[in-house]
Amino acid sequence: MQRAAGKAAALQRPRVILALLLLLGLTCVMLLDGYLRAEVGGDQRVRDGASASKVPDKVLNGGPILTFRNGSPVTQTIPKKTIVLTFDDGPNPTYTPTVLKILKKYDVPGTFFLVGSMVSRYPSIVKQMVEEGNEVGIHTFTHVDLSYQSDARITREMQQTQLALAGAAGITTTLFRAPYSSETDAIDNYSYPVYKKLGADGYTSVFVDTDSDDWKQPGVAKIIKWATPSGTSGSSVLFHDAGGVRSQTMKALPTYIEKMKAKGYTFTTVSGAIAKNTSAERASGTGAGAGAGAAAGTSTGTVEAGAQPSAAPSAAPGGTNAGTGNGQTPVDSAVGGAGTAGGGTGGAGGNGSGNRQTAILQGAHREATGMTLYEGKALIYAVTVAEWVVPGLAAGLTVVGVAVMSRFGMMLILARRHYRQRNKRRFSWGPTVTRPVTVIVPAYNEKECIANTLESLAKSTHPIEVIVVDDGSSDGTSEIAREAARSFGMTNVRVIRQENAGKPAALNNGVRSASYDIVVMMDGDTVFEPDTVRQLVQPFADPEVGAVAGNAKVGNRNTVIGAWQHIEYVMGFNLDRRMYDLLRCMPTIPGAIGAFRREAVLQVGGMSEDTLAEDTDITIAMHREGWRVVYQEHARAWTEAPASLKQLWSQRYRWSYGTMQALWKHRKSLTDKGPSGRFGRVGMPLVVIFQIITPVFAPLIDVFTVYSMIFVDFWASLAMWFAVLGIQLLCAAYAFRLDREKYRYLLMMPLQQLAYRQMMYLVLIHSSITALTGGRLRWQKLKRTGEVGTPAGAS
Amino acid sequence: MFVDNSGRRSKVLRRIGLLMGTVCLGYAFVLGMAFMGWGISINPSSLLPFGGGQAGSAPGGGYAPDGGRGGVAPSGVPTGAPTDIPSGAPTGAAPSSSATAH
Repeated sequence: MQRAAGKAAALQRPRVILALLLLLGLTCVMLLDGYLRAEVGGDQRVRDGASASKVPDKVLNGGPILTFRNGSPVTQTIPKKTIVLTFDDGPNPTYTPTVLKILKKYDVPGTFFLVGSMVSRYPSIVKQMVEEGNEVGIHTFTHVDLSYQSDARITREMQQTQLALAGAAGITTTLFRAPYSSETDAIDNYSYPVYKKLGADGYTSVFVDTDSDDWKQPGVAKIIKWATPSGTSGSSVLFHDAGGVRSQTMKALPTYIEKMKAKGYTFTTVSGAIAKNTSAERASGTGAGAGAGAAAGTSTGTVEAGAQPSAAPSAAPGGTNAGTGNGQTPVDSAVGGAGTAGGGTGGAGGNGSGNRQTAILQGAHREATGMTLYEGKALIYAVTVAEWVVPGLAAGLTVVGVAVMSRFGMMLILARRHYRQRNKRRFSWGPTVTRPVTVIVPAYNEKECIANTLESLAKSTHPIEVIVVDDGSSDGTSEIAREAARSFGMTNVRVIRQENAGKPAALNNGVRSASYDIVVMMDGDTVFEPDTVRQLVQPFADPEVGAVAGNAKVGNRNTVIGAWQHIEYVMGFNLDRRMYDLLRCMPTIPGAIGAFRREAVLQVGGMSEDTLAEDTDITIAMHREGWRVVYQEHARAWTEAPASLKQLWSQRYRWSYGTMQALWKHRKSLTDKGPSGRFGRVGMPLVVIFQIITPVFAPLIDVFTVYSMIFVDFWASLAMWFAVLGIQLLCAAYAFRLDREKYRYLLMMPLQQLAYRQMMYLVLIHSSITALTGGRLRWQKLKRTGEVGTPAGAS
Repeated sequence: MFVDNSGRRSKVLRRIGLLMGTVCLGYAFVLGMAFMGWGISINPSSLLPFGGGQAGSAPGGGYAPDGGRGGVAPSGVPTGAPTDIPSGAPTGAAPSSSATAH
């Protein structure tokens, strides 16, 4: 016994750890998803109209390519008759592939400024983009206005995007375009430090000369017009391939390319433009032309000489390691070594001219290696997981929503019909049942309650015979029962003792000893009203009825847990039973109050010990034999509900496990014919939906509420949650009205919804795991106080 | 119902649980690393041989033995890597951008 307990505790601990780890995983997935959708840490602020007094004029009036050297800004313009097509905000699964198709068709390269979160969500598009010779730059990870962000956040945005690029296409990049930026004259005092910082980190900021303003969706003609630079000047042209409806852009792009080609323009990437500047520089021998790198000089020469294949590609576009041309050995080796370490994309590309061309066009790319590559790939996988899990959870939430709503719908319709039908003045089951019945009270260590129980039976208005089956109690239950019977002057009480064999055995023992053809079963801790038995047996006037479920009520409802269970009993069980009654597929007759035809019980082989929920088991068995099971709302039994969370947990654990066992035991009914098949195809799905699927997914309501409260819209989400609560409250109020209960217990409902849902969920998971692992679950005796008496205030 | 006396199912399930726990932990770990940028260094300056780091350290390219080409090279080198300037490049020869910002 001791060893078993120790073993159970040891089993519990990894389970708890596993649960916490799963919760951690779920939290991570949801945080990641929120971050990717800019719901986590999303910052919608965009600066506008700030002063530019501290921005150097030559930056404001300079070309669109901005770098920093030793803290000083250096700008470059796009060479004449050259277009740098830039696309912002992608990748987008709808439009980016179209753009790539167009670019490929016209054999034109583009420069894509990618949003890291989108890169991580659609990595294959980026991979294709890079493979087809386009250049990519960073447009931050979450498309925030960096001028509002801290240095640390800026660094993170850049690094996260680099990781995403590394994971998606195996590269990193040195190009950057700030979200919400446009032409250089729009740089202000707040955004300039960002470019300066990124410039110091080695990034090249790319601006716009000609803005197509395609996001305004002005029509194809206007997009083309706005995107066309004046005269023969070169231009960095801005289009968008994401961030909204871009069909006009898709239409405008081919026409635009054709038009510009006809005008004699060539297309290149940002690095291509820089390389062009560089070679122009070299050709003219001065820096006059584009104002571009005077440093350029010898870079191409290096490539052509093939002296430094590894360093060459990275040198080519930037034209930066020009010094190698001077033949200075120490410099050579330094550059060569570092170049290899840096792993320029074109590393292998120095061989063929086509490759070299690509290397020039993608000069800003660096091959990702080592940690960066692995971490990038891991990030992509993590995002893929989140992209599957969150929609899955959302689907679960939909299931709950539909289940909960349809339950309310059914409840309102069927419960109302049931109430109307059974309470009609002319309604009757048939001739009044007046013959005596047997009441079986199984009792195991019920010394606190058994006297109360017998006292309540003594007042019965229906002739009864009471059989107390003492299931091997060790606390003198049978003596107390006999004593009590004598003191109440009851001559109709028999006490049967048996070796401890469990409740099903005790009930079977009672059924065997019963003298009458109708047996009422109750718990040893339950109290009947004087009228209860009479009400309970009336449906047997109908010969089809094989069993009757009574209306169990929580007696100790003045504690929080008691009140919760009271709400649950009134709203859940009793309303459910009305519904199931009309659908003729009641899954459970409560152990606290039920009545059976003795012959029907014997026909199905009595109570079975196969499951822990013998009440559910026998009810289903009776359905399968073709008996009708009805709900008699006026037969009330007052039961003592578990008073502590721990007891509640073990009770529900047993119920939930037992229900699963019973459903599994009767699984063949799904394919049966006749009444058995009817239950299998109507009752089983209902039980599975309402007792297993709904509780499993119900906590998602709260999970998503918390998520959207924090990350989306606090008040709207809270309002939604309260709307759901309001609907439940309304239904509960209706249930209370049907049962003529006092409404004040509904005050406990908000708390009940919060705590109960999660607990029932955990209980269900707990019992599912027990079922899966094949562990044994024993009957657990609840601790009783015997405080439940015949209710004075019950109406 | 459901009881498995051999304990085999429980063992299999425990392994699955262990695996799932590890996966969750690893997931959180990867995300933390990726978010904070731990374990990686991908600033262009640290990747490039002629990156801003070196350029910044010495005006005019720290490792250039040729004193003639000081950091005065005026032109815009897009990668921010200015060090190896042909000595012939005259200061201020690139009119568009050579003025210092400060």
